[in-house]
Amino acid sequence: MHGSQPLKGCLKSPKLLASALVILLSWVCIPGAGAATLDDRIDQLAAEVNDHSAKVEGLQESLLYPVNTRLTVFLTLETRKALDLDSVELFVNDRPVASHLYTPRERSALEAGGVQQLYIGNIESGAHSIRAVITARSADKDFVRREASHPFTKRPGALGVELKLGARAPDFEPYVSFTEWK
Amino acid sequence: MFVGRSLRISLTAFLAASGCMAGPVLAGTIAVPEDLRPGVVRYALATGDAPDAVRTIGAMKGKDAPLLRARVWLDSGHRHQGLEELRRIAETDTYRGKASMLLGRAALEQADSQEAARWFGLAARYGFGEDKQEALYHLADFQRQAGAPERAGKILSGMDAGYWAAVGYGNLASDYARQDTNPARALVALRVALAMTEADQESDRQEDLRNRLLARAGYLAYQNGEYDKAIGFLEKVALDSPVTPLALYFHGLALAERGNHRAAMQSWHRAKKFPLAYPGVADAWIGMGRGYDLAGYLGQAGEAYLAANAAYESERVTLRKLKQQIREKGAYGALVKGAQTSDLEWFLADSRTMQQPRQAYLMDFLDTPSAQIAVARVARLERLDDRLSQEQSNLEVLLSELDHRATGGSVDEGTLRELRTEGNALEDQVEKLLEKATGPAQQRRLAKMERILGDANTALAAVSDVGSGDMGVGDRLKTLLSEIAGYRKRASALRATAENRLNELALAYVDDQDQRMVYAYDKTEQQIAHLYEYLALENLQETSQ
Repeated sequence: MHGSQPLKGCLKSPKLLASALVILLSWVCIPGAGAATLDDRIDQLAAEVNDHSAKVEGLQESLLYPVNTRLTVFLTLETRKALDLDSVELFVNDRPVASHLYTPRERSALEAGGVQQLYIGNIESGAHSIRAVITARSADKDFVRREASHPFTKRPGALGVELKLGARAPDFEPYVSFTEWK
Repeated sequence: MFVGRSLRISLTAFLAASGCMAGPVLAGTIAVPEDLRPGVVRYALATGDAPDAVRTIGAMKGKDAPLLRARVWLDSGHRHQGLEELRRIAETDTYRGKASMLLGRAALEQADSQEAARWFGLAARYGFGEDKQEALYHLADFQRQAGAPERAGKILSGMDAGYWAAVGYGNLASDYARQDTNPARALVALRVALAMTEADQESDRQEDLRNRLLARAGYLAYQNGEYDKAIGFLEKVALDSPVTPLALYFHGLALAERGNHRAAMQSWHRAKKFPLAYPGVADAWIGMGRGYDLAGYLGQAGEAYLAANAAYESERVTLRKLKQQIREKGAYGALVKGAQTSDLEWFLADSRTMQQPRQAYLMDFLDTPSAQIAVARVARLERLDDRLSQEQSNLEVLLSELDHRATGGSVDEGTLRELRTEGNALEDQVEKLLEKATGPAQQRRLAKMERILGDANTALAAVSDVGSGDMGVGDRLKTLLSEIAGYRKRASALRATAENRLNELALAYVDDQDQRMVYAYDKTEQQIAHLYEYLALENLQETSQ
């Protein structure tokens, strides 16, 4: 009978085997060196563009956020593995100024000691307040939402406020602390 | 009254106050406090925004600064400076292992294996954690590529369990499978690799590698006639992996060898649900026909072969359209961007990466290193142009605002003079009162007044410092805008070259896929011919009786 022919014939054909092996054997990525010149040219352009961007950003920052009125808010994690940060909302004088939803990459960047510049803006000299609303998942898998506020006085000159999040075992109760950088 | 007066402060005053007229923008204007700078750079590096950190690195201090600076330089195109800095770090005691690791990777990118081996050797000696494991993996792989699997195995045996050791054993298994007629050694290496993956902390990476290792182990066991073992391996492959269709196909083969044709056809039927782009799917379509044939349902076997042929022909039409689109829009637009845009609602889009033909072809295409490099090159240039375009738009808005301010007048000098006089008089009064203050409460109140007046005077000084005028900034903005135009032109020319290279690769890939379909079609035609021949002979036999 025709059906008695060995079934594995279609696998043993060299082309099919080759296509299967291409997938299975492709463990290692060996970058090709053929386009080195093009890559060098792209590198060179990228370097020039990034330097140029730094100049433009500096100029824009100076134009839009003059030193005397500048307020910058940074976010850091104090205890790195205790909180799985979901989102942060930031209010200056009860006005919402920034909100951020965190991707896994951003979370791991914060856990690796990264500092996120959450907000940059202008406020006049005098008394103000910052309020932060944090939603996160703590290390004991509880979903938590916490609000924290910080009154401060802005004087001429740039002011940086560091918003530091943490949670300590055993209850992993989250807390927010503020540090002013003048 | 002081507080009731409105001040028209020109843009120039802002600029003067911020010091941006004083030439190039340097570290002094950075909004990040010194202590936080390394953290900001670390965040930018970890989120893939290293170019954003270029401005910060110059002003960075501390023991982490040189390494962070080198990494930003490397990621932002300043390759030469980055490598120089890394070489300096590699001669010190701080971050020696990390710097050696990065230098090894850079040498590997340039295909300089001798230099890479030297740096990886240092990284393995002085590095820690994942860096050390990666360096050891590369050292083992150099030995393997040089035809010394025993020496590679010796290095791998000294590694910690995890991703890099698993990849190393996976590569070793590939070599054994190629060299040996008996897959025993390869299977042992794959079993070790599978055990090593368990220690990998990155779940996505671990899952992907585990699926590939299982599919390979299943295939080798099947080839060796160990069907139960093969089925055991293949049934552990996840159902949402790019190797799933291939695993299902092998699973069907192993089941068929055990005589379980019905279960074999169920596996092939599941494999058929995947796009034909994935390896194993075209074979599963043929397998269905063979399954019916083996089970004795010859009519359904014929129908299954015809259905397979219809699927291959339809796929060839899809491939022709894709080829046409690549010619019209370029491979980046047709394949990469096209695969990103979908009409699917987001809540239905969970498994779209596995089910959409174009996405499937993109994933399969990107399985090769050369395609990865070509796509990454175009994507990099696209990001560069997006950045420049955004800057251009921002600067144009600023320039128009500057023009508007210039025509709208500037600071009222009379008001400023009046305010300064008023402020000075108040300061004198406070000073006199301070001398006469009797208690700490009075002193505190007067000190507070003094501080408020000081702040006001600082602000007035900034506002009144209208020296060089708006012209300087305007000219500078125009220069920056013309520079941007130049960069965009260069980026566009480079992108055209990069896209051409990607198009060549993509067209060759589509041609290969088309050939694969032609081959599968021919194979099915042969099966149909065999089937008809058999039926004709049967018919003849019946007639003669």
